[in-house]
Amino acid sequence: MSLTIISLIKQVPLPSEMRMGEDGAMDRTKAKSIINIDCQFGLEAGLQLKSHYPDARMVVVSMGPPPFEQSLKNALSMGYDEAYLLSDRKLGGSDTFATGLAISTLLKDLGYTKDAQEPFIILAGRQSSDGDTAHVPSQVAEAMGLPQATFVERIEPNKDGTITARRIIEGGYQMLQLPVPCVISFTPTGIKPRKASLVGAIKARAATIGVKSVDDVKMLPEQQAVIGVSGSPTKVANVENIESDRPPIVMAAGQTETQLVDSLIENLKKGGNTLVKKEAKEKKETDVADFEIIDQRGDNKGILTWAEVVKGDIARPSLELLTPARHLADQLGNNTKITTVLMGKNVKNLAQKLFEHGADEVIVVENDKLEEYLILPFATIITQIIRERKPEIALFAATTAGRELAPRIGMKTGSGVTADCTALEIGDYNDKKNKQIIRPILHSRRPTFGESKLATILGFVYPQISTARAGTFAVPAVQAGRTGVLSTFTPRLNDEDFVVKIKETVRGEGGLQSLFDADVIVAGGRGTVGDGLQLVQQLAQALKDKGIKAEWACSRVVVDDHYAEYARQIGQTGKTVRPKVYVAIGISGAIQHIAGIKESGKIIAINNNPKAPIFRHADFGICGNYEDIIPELIEKVQAGFTFGVKPAA
Amino acid sequence: MSNTNTVKTDVLIIGGGPSGLAAAIRLADLLKAKGLQKEILLVDKGASIGSHLISGAVVKPAVFGELLPEVKLEEIPFDSKVAGDAMYFLTANGKIKMPFHPPYMSNKGNYTASLGEIARFLAAQAAAKGVQIYSGFAMSEILYDPNGKVRGAKCIDTGLDHHGNKLENFVEGTSVEATLTIFAEGTRGSLAKKLIEKFGLQKGRNPQIYSLGVKELWSIPEGTIGAGDVYHTMGFPATDWGIFGGGFIYGLKDNKIALGQVLGLEAADPTFDTFKAFQIWKTHPFVAKFIKDGKLLEAGAKTLPEGGYYSQPKYYTDHALMVGDSAGFLAMPALKGIHLGIYSGMKAAEAAAIAFEKNDFSKETLAVYADLVEQSRIRKEMYPVRNFRAGFGKGMMAGIFHFGTQIFTCGAGICGKLKTQPDSQETKTLENAKKPLFNDKYKDFVPQYDKVTDVFYAGVNHDEEQIPHLSVNNPPTYADINIKQFGAPCQYYCPAEVYELHTDKNGHQDLRIHAENCLHCKTCDIKEPADGITWSVPNGGNGPDYKYM
Repeated sequence: MSLTIISLIKQVPLPSEMRMGEDGAMDRTKAKSIINIDCQFGLEAGLQLKSHYPDARMVVVSMGPPPFEQSLKNALSMGYDEAYLLSDRKLGGSDTFATGLAISTLLKDLGYTKDAQEPFIILAGRQSSDGDTAHVPSQVAEAMGLPQATFVERIEPNKDGTITARRIIEGGYQMLQLPVPCVISFTPTGIKPRKASLVGAIKARAATIGVKSVDDVKMLPEQQAVIGVSGSPTKVANVENIESDRPPIVMAAGQTETQLVDSLIENLKKGGNTLVKKEAKEKKETDVADFEIIDQRGDNKGILTWAEVVKGDIARPSLELLTPARHLADQLGNNTKITTVLMGKNVKNLAQKLFEHGADEVIVVENDKLEEYLILPFATIITQIIRERKPEIALFAATTAGRELAPRIGMKTGSGVTADCTALEIGDYNDKKNKQIIRPILHSRRPTFGESKLATILGFVYPQISTARAGTFAVPAVQAGRTGVLSTFTPRLNDEDFVVKIKETVRGEGGLQSLFDADVIVAGGRGTVGDGLQLVQQLAQALKDKGIKAEWACSRVVVDDHYAEYARQIGQTGKTVRPKVYVAIGISGAIQHIAGIKESGKIIAINNNPKAPIFRHADFGICGNYEDIIPELIEKVQAGFTFGVKPAA
Repeated sequence: MSNTNTVKTDVLIIGGGPSGLAAAIRLADLLKAKGLQKEILLVDKGASIGSHLISGAVVKPAVFGELLPEVKLEEIPFDSKVAGDAMYFLTANGKIKMPFHPPYMSNKGNYTASLGEIARFLAAQAAAKGVQIYSGFAMSEILYDPNGKVRGAKCIDTGLDHHGNKLENFVEGTSVEATLTIFAEGTRGSLAKKLIEKFGLQKGRNPQIYSLGVKELWSIPEGTIGAGDVYHTMGFPATDWGIFGGGFIYGLKDNKIALGQVLGLEAADPTFDTFKAFQIWKTHPFVAKFIKDGKLLEAGAKTLPEGGYYSQPKYYTDHALMVGDSAGFLAMPALKGIHLGIYSGMKAAEAAAIAFEKNDFSKETLAVYADLVEQSRIRKEMYPVRNFRAGFGKGMMAGIFHFGTQIFTCGAGICGKLKTQPDSQETKTLENAKKPLFNDKYKDFVPQYDKVTDVFYAGVNHDEEQIPHLSVNNPPTYADINIKQFGAPCQYYCPAEVYELHTDKNGHQDLRIHAENCLHCKTCDIKEPADGITWSVPNGGNGPDYKYM
């Protein structure tokens, strides 16, 4: 019995190839295609696994147009043996639901079914750089009926044939034990993808790629009806450019650290560049006179949300979620209710908090086995509730749990999902083809293409499911004493829902309120671990000594490497902060970190790599080594320079 | 070494520039004509063929007809046929048009071109003839058989940290075992250098000497320059420092212009900065007018072996041949190496075909390569100017004198064979160099683009995790000799700001190497005084990504 390791990959345009033109716009014409970075980490994880199973069969699979063959060849040259491409015009314009369905059909056709005699494991990237949804791995898992783990950094095989996976969660990680077959998706933080060898490239050139159409893989007519641009349950209604809300950076000039720091201080005094905002064009969908207005909702009504419980309390993003939920309920009118699902061990007492933040009804599901979040039983339970309650909209916070749960549920309900939304509105869909207006419909807006575009996505299958980006919406004001309907639900669960075991959960302390109150945050990244963040801390201390509300913080890698506690972590899986001045030292500027600092007043970046992405998100910059720059900066602070921030009274 | 990581081939060609590709094409044709079934494997370190190719370029077209008789001239992707061809002598503010071209420098009938375009075309031709071409793989080591004869080469190991420790994604470089290995790495090839040293192939020859060329490609408003208009300049600013060389301005189709400066690396001044000199040259009114309303598209730099006939190494040994720039096939004063590179590749292929027929790859058999070169037009072009560049070794005016006498004596000049010394030995210490120093004179000059900007426009990329590919040869003496006495010349001559002399608050100085900026021009390997710096090949696919240079 030999193991088959299957890697799912996507080909995407190379982000760094998109050069910035002089007008500030991206020049995409020169963009080359690469294997999506996260998928490359999945490929590497497969090759690492092979070192434990030398006889393993290595299979790589993709879906896309014929040019995707190049990426499959590249995967072969890294050490994979067989490659398949699902390529069919009928699949053009498929959303994530349709993609997950189609890929799972191909895999089943290749013999990889839940009940297959031979063991197999499916590996994938967490998300693609051009779509950013993180849906497909969950959807493939659900469509194949397999357990899953997403946001995984590393896997190790166990003697009993199971797999141990280290999954990133907010504030730490979780060690999961999965049976085989299963689906695992990888973050780009694990083992870096290897370079191809020449002997591999020679082998890859000689290899043939199995190109399959939807008919080749025997996709059923009813399945073919829900793929492609016309069949997919969600549609992209509109894409607009996101105008940067930060003007171009002002870099410090000079040869020595003294000159650089003086230049920075001078630049700060001058105030930096200003952004010329273009007039926002108001585009109103107007009723077209002879179009019939259609309400497709039928008996689907109300808004469902899920309250994530972490360490015995409701996670902040789940409270934030009640803000757009209330906004949508108000827009829908007609006595639309917000129903929140609350699951866990002894969680009933948390219902009151949900009422006070705006939930109209709380459905409590209590079970000792649900103490920690687990994708399979949670997806099963919420789907059962959706089937019983028939909400028109289901919302999840885009946490590491929400981002895998929503697509798994969406695959069960046939809904499709919109990921990581920053705005949710009720609107119309002007269906010119059928001369009708669908009203009301959920407009889910989300940044895409590396935060450069804002897409509006509509769902046509109920419930319309979206996840909302953490930190985007404010927590609703507490209405003390507000109550609602408290109900309970008894789910139907079986052993299959518990095949994935949690071996260990490690979460840092969430506290450190001072980061939310600080006027100046001095944050250190990977580039500052050389001295264990000593200089970062000294700079923050120097500011405090001058009476400034200052605090030090760090990026995720620093916490992972145990140089700082989780409470100091800034970014998507840490804190979202809004200081007057944010000083990023040795932080490269991964998009997950930027998400946590975008709302800062001024961002100052200090990095020795002139190409570090942080410089694209900062107001002021110094290109130099922190060991040289920071001591100079500390001296200036001691002499009275406080980044233009006044001491707290 | 595991056998699964070894590839066997008949011919391994290292480098996919014009000479390597020409060798591949010609050899494929000859072997086919002789009915010999042999495998030719060509490996290039650039991410794709052409990624690492940069040249002026004005190309002599005739060679293509000889290399590819079945291809029509108009199928070759030149840029434009040379229309106007003028030479100017620039003074600080003015210019003097030379009424005629110096001998050997006329460009009538030539074409402007992007060398990358030409190479991509040649690669497609070679592939169609059955040559297996792989780009993105860097050969870092020559393999020898138990008798010490060349047996191929090995790709660099990847997945190493800065200290050379294996990471989890370590991949051992593939070994390619070949009956015949052709070194076509271009200027100052890092394996060719090892080959020359191991077999003493430079013995009895002049040391090779080099120039550094810096080039920018611009898009310009319509009508600024005609496609095919060619201007060369001499004089400002390099003449003040007694440095050989000049500038070029080529009009290209689609409203593009290529401009650059090629200056000898013989500077005695340790602060001489070719990149800065290029930026200064760009401010001369004669040059500035061409790019006034333009936009920078690409930038880059490379060195050229200029020593000529007497500096060429013996370019063959057992089971190995050297072609193109690696073997110094470049003719001065026209600075033309592309067609000679192609010719050398063709002659090497002819020698290889004879060796395959005899099944004998000894240096005695491969010596026919040198005979073929001597009988070819390569000699006709290189021999008469054999002393040209050496004559300029003592400065521009001495050079003009030497060159004048050479014209009347068919190249011999009045001293017979002129000697050269390596460029690294020309550099003087700060104390002994003539004042004012270049960097002192132009201390306040603010270039239109700094080095890092041009590096960005070269599309340079290097993997973070690898052993730095640049190393100081003798660290213990570096601070005292190279930094204190010479003032760290690498911070000036390197056109990519790879080298930074950092001074801390206490006045302590140390050299910081930013290998990730490297343009693969090899200037440091050539020019660093005392014990020098060694340029080794980084991971495959690293380095610049030239598109139309």
